[in-house]
Amino acid sequence: MGVSCVYDYPVPDGRSGAQVVDVLQKQVETMGAYKTGNFHIDCETYQSVMLNSPKTLHILHNSEHPASCFAILDSGNTLVADTLFNGLMSNLKNYYQARKGAKIESKGQRYQLADFVLKIGSVSLAGSFKGILVEVEYSPSLVAMECWNLMKELLQSIVGNIAETPPQTLKPRMDETFTPTMAMLQYLEHFNNFRNKAAMSQPAR
Amino acid sequence: MLKLAYDKMAAPSVNVCVESVIEHQIQEVNYDGQEIYVAPLSMSENLSKLAYKIDFFKDESEEKGKPTSEGEKETDEDKVLAPFQPSLWPWDSVRNKLKGALTEMSVLYDVLNIAKEKHYMVTDPVSQEAPELKASLQMLAKKKSLVAASQILSAGAERLKRVQAEMASNTQENFLMELLKLRKLWRLKKVHNTILGELSYKSAGSRFWQGGTFEVLKTSDLVAEGEVNTRSSSLDVSIPSELEGVAYIQVEVNDVPNLMDITSATLKMPAGLGTMPPDAYWQQRLEVAQNVLFCKELFAQLAREAVQIKGSTPHMVIGNQILTNVFPGVQLSIILCHYTGKEKKVALSSHKLEHNHVLEHSLHQLLRRVHDRNLNYSPPHPVNAMLGMTKRRRLAGPVATSRQELMEMSHSESLLEQILKQTKHSVLRLRTMRVIDQLAVTIQDPQICAHWSCLNNSLESSVRISFTCYGYEIIRNSLVLLIGTDSIRVVMKDGRVCSLSFEVTELRDLIQWQICQHQTMCVLHLAKVQGWTVLSMINNSGHADMEAYGTSSTVMLASPRGNVTMAFHSNPVSGQRLAVKKAELGGEVHGSPAVTAAKWAGLSGDYEEVNLQQLEGRNLVGKIDMLMARLNTS
Repeated sequence: MGVSCVYDYPVPDGRSGAQVVDVLQKQVETMGAYKTGNFHIDCETYQSVMLNSPKTLHILHNSEHPASCFAILDSGNTLVADTLFNGLMSNLKNYYQARKGAKIESKGQRYQLADFVLKIGSVSLAGSFKGILVEVEYSPSLVAMECWNLMKELLQSIVGNIAETPPQTLKPRMDETFTPTMAMLQYLEHFNNFRNKAAMSQPAR
Repeated sequence: MLKLAYDKMAAPSVNVCVESVIEHQIQEVNYDGQEIYVAPLSMSENLSKLAYKIDFFKDESEEKGKPTSEGEKETDEDKVLAPFQPSLWPWDSVRNKLKGALTEMSVLYDVLNIAKEKHYMVTDPVSQEAPELKASLQMLAKKKSLVAASQILSAGAERLKRVQAEMASNTQENFLMELLKLRKLWRLKKVHNTILGELSYKSAGSRFWQGGTFEVLKTSDLVAEGEVNTRSSSLDVSIPSELEGVAYIQVEVNDVPNLMDITSATLKMPAGLGTMPPDAYWQQRLEVAQNVLFCKELFAQLAREAVQIKGSTPHMVIGNQILTNVFPGVQLSIILCHYTGKEKKVALSSHKLEHNHVLEHSLHQLLRRVHDRNLNYSPPHPVNAMLGMTKRRRLAGPVATSRQELMEMSHSESLLEQILKQTKHSVLRLRTMRVIDQLAVTIQDPQICAHWSCLNNSLESSVRISFTCYGYEIIRNSLVLLIGTDSIRVVMKDGRVCSLSFEVTELRDLIQWQICQHQTMCVLHLAKVQGWTVLSMINNSGHADMEAYGTSSTVMLASPRGNVTMAFHSNPVSGQRLAVKKAELGGEVHGSPAVTAAKWAGLSGDYEEVNLQQLEGRNLVGKIDMLMARLNTS
């Protein structure tokens, strides 16, 4: 497990998500990366029932960590637990209830390019396409500060100028040891953005 | 007030008056100093108090010898007192005692009177004469008593004999005793009328499909009536037919010329162990049957793995044999030998079977470890965790272990892979040993000495090789070989590490190359001792012709006076060469200012090779040492 950065790849108007993903995959393959299977990240959101001030709890799963389950509160507090935690959530129905139609996931191909792992995932919220997330992981390093410049170069050749600065959630922790939780926090931030966008567009309709 | 008169026999009688003090006894002193006195006792109270102090029993015994008149006097006193205070309770006991004493006294008096008067009775001493006994009578009595004693003894012996006979004939009790013994050693259960036992390793963690149920039988049921029971025990076990006989796993490591020698895969069945006698003790039979089951399980496991594992070279399972390639030309064959005694006698064992006991033992160990792991999990095990998980797997969730690490975790080595590794190591170790021994025998000049470490395991061992020259033991070079499964790592004296493959020639070349370097080191050491100057020293020189392997090392030395230069060249293939150049110091010195010292004048001259064979000395170092010493003076 190395340092990974997640970026939202903008889908230009007039092109479908599948096309863009196709283009990205071709681009990555021309760089010399080869496929190493699929990846899958999903996020479910639970809402507290009893409390006066409602609290949200996100449960994330990552196919890179098949034995783990990440529970993240809005405050950013994270609990990493066994997959048995899912069963625990169903027992907590009276306190936390899953928000309807809020399951969001990112799925796609996983590529390996020397020490880098590239993941191009298309994000879908309740079955409808919402955007593209590109994750780049540099396996040999554990501190983001030390490999940021190296990653920036690769990232800029894929996602372009968005990768000028490190991701927002990673910025304050650039000199800390990278943990899988940090990657999940990045994903969660993007997922929340996609959700908000969807919520904004809905009332307009 | 009391008055006592004391009579003394010797002294003239003097009346002594003893009076009690008139002062009253103080009962209590108050805080203000006032004293409270005890009221004085009245006459009668005083008397009763004193009377209580008298021990009448004591007086009785003392008074026995005294004339009765005194006693009568006392009784008189008593008689006087009794009517005086009849109702007084404390006096009652005194009265009773006195009365009793009086009665006894009277009786004694009567007896004495009777004895004394001799009117009514005469007392005579009893005669002590023993009755005379006849010898014959005595003998008869003794005889009689002896007969009685012998009868008791013979009756007891008879009873013992009867019990003994009962025990021999009564197998029921014996059978139960043996069953109890069997029960202590094996698992038994009762099904209807039969007693079944279990000899498989299922309770010890085995998951082999084949069961090992045996039946417990009574010998007396088997033996027909009237027939003499020859069996030693009254309990017998019937073992399933597939577990009968003797079995063992034979492990062989052979050198085969071809890649895989299938022709050797004939059904070998050495009857080396022989068969079990049919009337062996049940414990022995059960143990052998259990071993058969164990060997079968082991072989089944190995055969399954041999088929499943996709190695670079395929493993072969032919009949009761598993063939695998350890190294090119070396083959490991694992054979299950199961001899039931019913097979036809096959005339084989013409070729000597090389059984590897160590590897067979390792195989047993490995399977037992598998059994153990099936049952016992690594100890700190939380109650709420899933059973059978290792600690790392349990923590994989909370610490977010990546997929790759989880995959590595789940991979476990199979028995066949493990035994293959061990075989590789043992083959490699044997090869190394042989190479070192051969070199030590063939190469005499630097002596090669190998120290095998006793601390090794089945996959790794180490040996330290040191080179010394006879007479120059202070110069020592050593290298350490770490023998692994597939390769040998060599750590040289200067800390360099190089890896060798399983090919022995590599090791041989390396050792010979090291010997060359050792000799160069020796020459350098001699130069230091003799005061020669080292002009140049190249360990791995690129000069001279290309050799088959190794590099040559060269040293150039100058004598203390500077007139002799010596060049030593050592190569593992072409051997050692020594050349000497002598500078003739010419008489005339050029007046050039560039020539600062006389030695520069004599630069010319050719190197002449020294025939090392013909030099005198025990070994190369000795020869060079002598030559140097000689050249020092020239």
